[in-house]
Amino acid sequence: MTQPVSPPRDDTPKLSSKAEPAPWRAVVARADVRTLSLLGVLAVLILIGGITKPDEFLDTRNLQLVLTQASVIGVVTVGMTFVIISGGIDLSVGAIVALASVWATTVATQDYGFVGVLFTAVLVGVGCGLVNGVLIAYGAMVPFIATLAMLASARGLALQITDGNTQVVTIDGILDLGERDSYILGVPPLVLMFAVVTIIGWLVLNRTTFGRRTVAVGGNAEATRLAGIDVRRQRLYLYLLSGLCCGIAAFMLIILSGSGQNTNGNLYELDAIAAAIIGGTLLSGGRGTIVGSVLGVLIFTTITNIFALNNLQSDVQQIAKGAIIVAAVLVQRRTANTT
Amino acid sequence: MKQYTQQYTKQHTQQYVKHPAQHRPARPEGLALRKGTTAMPELTSRRGLLFGTAAVSAGVLLAGCTSNESDDEPASNDQPAADDKKGKQVTIGFAGPQADHGWLNAINDNAKSRAKKYEDVTLEITEGSNDTAAQIGQIETLINKKVDVLVILPADGKALTQVGLKAMRAGIPVVNLDRIFNSPQAYRCYIGGDNFGMGLNAGHYIGEQLKDKKNAKVIELAGLDNLELTKQRTAGFDAALKNYPNIKKVARQAAEFTVESGQAKMSQLLQAQSSFDALWNHDDDQGVGALRAIEQAGRDDFIMVGGAGALSAMQAIESDNSVLKATVLYPPTMAASAIDLARALGQGKGVSGLAEFEIPSSLTLYSAVVDKENVKTYLPTGFK
Amino acid sequence: MAPEPPLLTMSGITKSFPGVRALDGVDLDVLTGEVHCLLGQNGAGKSTLIKVLAGAHQPDDGTIGWRGEQVTLRSPIAAMRLGIATIYQELDLVEGLSVAENVYLGHEPTSAGFVVRGKDARASTAALLKRLGHPEIDPARLVGELSAAHQQIVSMARALSHDVRLIVMDEPSAALDPDEVDNLFRIVGDLTADGVAVVYISHRLEEIRRIGDRVTVLKDGRAVAGGLPAKSTPTSEVVALMTGRNVEYVFPPRPTHQDLPEPVLEVQGLSRDGEFESLDLTLRPGEIVGLAGLVGSGRSEILETIYGARKPSTGQVLVGGKQLKAGSVRAAVAAGLGLAPEERKAQALLLLESVTRNVSVSSMSRFSYGGWLDRTAERDAARKATRELSLRPDNPSALIRTLSGGNQQKAVLARWLLRGCRVLLLDEPTRGVDVGARAELYAVIRRLADEGLAVLMVSSEVPEVLGLADRVLVLREGRVVHRAPAQELDEHRVLDLVMEGSPAS
Repeated sequence: MTQPVSPPRDDTPKLSSKAEPAPWRAVVARADVRTLSLLGVLAVLILIGGITKPDEFLDTRNLQLVLTQASVIGVVTVGMTFVIISGGIDLSVGAIVALASVWATTVATQDYGFVGVLFTAVLVGVGCGLVNGVLIAYGAMVPFIATLAMLASARGLALQITDGNTQVVTIDGILDLGERDSYILGVPPLVLMFAVVTIIGWLVLNRTTFGRRTVAVGGNAEATRLAGIDVRRQRLYLYLLSGLCCGIAAFMLIILSGSGQNTNGNLYELDAIAAAIIGGTLLSGGRGTIVGSVLGVLIFTTITNIFALNNLQSDVQQIAKGAIIVAAVLVQRRTANTT
Repeated sequence: MKQYTQQYTKQHTQQYVKHPAQHRPARPEGLALRKGTTAMPELTSRRGLLFGTAAVSAGVLLAGCTSNESDDEPASNDQPAADDKKGKQVTIGFAGPQADHGWLNAINDNAKSRAKKYEDVTLEITEGSNDTAAQIGQIETLINKKVDVLVILPADGKALTQVGLKAMRAGIPVVNLDRIFNSPQAYRCYIGGDNFGMGLNAGHYIGEQLKDKKNAKVIELAGLDNLELTKQRTAGFDAALKNYPNIKKVARQAAEFTVESGQAKMSQLLQAQSSFDALWNHDDDQGVGALRAIEQAGRDDFIMVGGAGALSAMQAIESDNSVLKATVLYPPTMAASAIDLARALGQGKGVSGLAEFEIPSSLTLYSAVVDKENVKTYLPTGFK
Repeated sequence: MAPEPPLLTMSGITKSFPGVRALDGVDLDVLTGEVHCLLGQNGAGKSTLIKVLAGAHQPDDGTIGWRGEQVTLRSPIAAMRLGIATIYQELDLVEGLSVAENVYLGHEPTSAGFVVRGKDARASTAALLKRLGHPEIDPARLVGELSAAHQQIVSMARALSHDVRLIVMDEPSAALDPDEVDNLFRIVGDLTADGVAVVYISHRLEEIRRIGDRVTVLKDGRAVAGGLPAKSTPTSEVVALMTGRNVEYVFPPRPTHQDLPEPVLEVQGLSRDGEFESLDLTLRPGEIVGLAGLVGSGRSEILETIYGARKPSTGQVLVGGKQLKAGSVRAAVAAGLGLAPEERKAQALLLLESVTRNVSVSSMSRFSYGGWLDRTAERDAARKATRELSLRPDNPSALIRTLSGGNQQKAVLARWLLRGCRVLLLDEPTRGVDVGARAELYAVIRRLADEGLAVLMVSSEVPEVLGLADRVLVLREGRVVHRAPAQELDEHRVLDLVMEGSPAS
């Protein structure tokens, strides 16, 4: 008889089904451990913040500040998480945010008021996502290359639109959303938007066929295709989704900064990927959680906040950020291995 | 606070479609800035300098030269001085970084409009690049094209020194703009802003404002920390503050010259410092974001001084309804002056107004402080 | 007994992974110049044991003796220095490097310590390949361009390029044709004659009888028998040791089909350039048709083309009388086709996911309302389908990768059962399935046919095709050379047809 070529490490998982009568418990426990370890990191950070700067850090205003600063990149990260789970990557998110934010804040667009700006931002985001998706799904381009090309083009177009100028927003309705008066029960509207995107993202990933297909494509695209699922269309939708998130994020950034600038969204791609990875999303695809990614974003934002409150300079901040990425991933791997 | 933003943004959007250079001819060219001593009597050091009597109408801003006294002296050398009259045809190659934000954009605009002014100047301007290797390639192309003079604003002064040397060896005089090369052999003439002086003047301005305040607290919102100029600005600022024992710098954070980073870092600073008296922000571009953060936090208990001299900042200073009370110039008009110097080099002429035959090897511009008193004068130079 | 001490003595080797004890006090001793066979089902601990031997895993407990001295194998390099080389099942060659570069990867002959002497490497590689009976492999060629069999030879050459005293071969014959297996055995013979010991892992008892000297049987991480004589131990005893019970290879009885309904699948003149030519085939509900042929006869390609995963050059596929869109898996699945592919892990399974999700992946729209999944309904339906096939463990949330090969295959079948498919295409249905589990799988396949499915199966194991199928098509080089009811054929006849290509009668 012929024996299949199977990875030599086969022995271990097979035995584990015998050793553990209820492997689903292990699954749940593993997911929890991953999330818990992130919460642990966050708790340590909060402790550090609370000890070093009790008055400034443990303060409602600071909580509002941290969450607000997390909200824009957070929305981008939710979209990115989907793409990475599907085994892809979207390097163009920062550039799309920049393009959407400047396109939505040109004088011509601002003439159409609040709705015009919102609509344009979202439309530009979705449009860029569509181009990415078509190139990757139907043009058989590697996501890395296709989105890298989009990164360059979108940044270039953004520069062309602004001519290097900062486009200031003059619409009160938009500006007001970034100010204290419009907080709802103490929650800034931007944070609310972030929360809504997160919840919808979680539901889509965990409770819909779309989410299931995303995971399947990332886990084994060939098997998914042979199971009769339209893998290419799924890929197209995923980059559309990422573009949509960028459009929303661009609108939020317009609210936050009261302007559109072609330098917006600088290095968002790396921040979003880093947050997703420390959140437990496999860069090779097939596994990842929205909760993990959001915690990843919050960890980064909290670090930045603590460092700024303690007046540490950007060199130290960058070193610490790198160290935290490594530490978080190592801690996760350890905890995942010992359960 | 909010009122302020709306007002200034309104003006801003009304004007920002126009080319900055279009404002400039409106003022008496050649007098207002170049003859700085008359136009800006409040300046502590009278270091304005002319290129000679004929240059009065040429409208060049050149400051920080060797002589403090000779500015009103007539030229005494026999070297023909550069002037507006058509001379020998000169091709000037211009290579700068990618103009992705206000100040650099203004540099390009200044160079272009200045070159257009002269019939005898052809400007070969490269696609701007922040990539050292790409910029080297662009400059080498210009060398191969045998342009008469090169004006180079390097993305990184140290990294581009070699290519500057190469051009000089090929017999092409180089005007090194703003970010200085490692070796004086790599350029014929350097012209640039004074980053240390910028911090120094910002510090002195704030120092004077808070002179009578006990235990005054100052914070600093710096620019990109991995640029040398940021360090120099901070060093100058700190040096000035040493003269005021009542003032203490309590916090410093670095933004990235972008609106987004300005907003993010400023909001953190505001959270960290529940009260302070003055803020120096290195860059008016990121200042848009910083002002947004200040507005969002509802704070108005301090004065703010900007940097570089953006139009929006000057408009805010003029209307005087925000925390922004002054800005320290880092004038992008230096690019126009660089074109003038390049033209003079190409035509083999000297600078009148100096006793020497030759164009000086180094010119450092003065970073003037613009506040409500003198803002009207500077408003036309504000960039977007 | 041997006058000298054993070459290798492993005693009391214990190795645990989180939640699993993979090895539980295993003893193994290997003598100089012998072929020592390791037998055991998937998951018995063979792979873990050889990884300990290769220095890739550190044992939690136990000792390793090498030529009478106690040693610690801290890393693969340490093992290699002692003279232990391992040829893994999954070939670990670098496809982008040449044969010689692969053979000498990590110990390149150099001048002055760093300049690689490529010529020397190529010359000595050529010598090694000649010794291995494959002088035709060019040492300068890229490994990626070689066939699987030749890649294995390269892997072996790499092992021999070290000063080797013990070679571990993990299922070396799995990817080989009969000729190549003969060559492999000749090599093993040469090696042992030179005094090199071989630890040989295989599922094939007949191979063990041919070349083995002694056998150690592993079960559930324990050595249940050590040093049995390979040639004389009765098969029943070995199987009993491996499975813990006596197993017979039983094929389910063939029902006598009276009048089968109209064909559900018709294949007309299907060809793919360079793979197979003008295939005609009809398949009726309730019958099992088998395709027999050697590797490279176009078997898998035929199934994948019918399924739409490959585009045919000419010809068409009809399901229920309607023509299928060529080259569209979705159309095939919608028409009621289901494929259990040969490479189950690569082509069928979502390895990171649960049984439920693997089963429901093709039928998700059934449990969703506007894209919203009803996860309870999904789980219940998946459980129903897997219970019907007696999939173990009876737990829809178990991760698919923790299941045995047979149960993974059942999950794939359950996927199509749940989908309600009409035609099942099975490519090597028992590949990677333990002997004990095969009979059960055969019974499941027959039952599905009895319930009205049409089954088209491909297998390289002739007895399996003959035992399970109703009708058999014999393939040679992409053409059907013979068609007959299975009862009218025997293994020799099929092998003759496959190898010689006697014209179809």
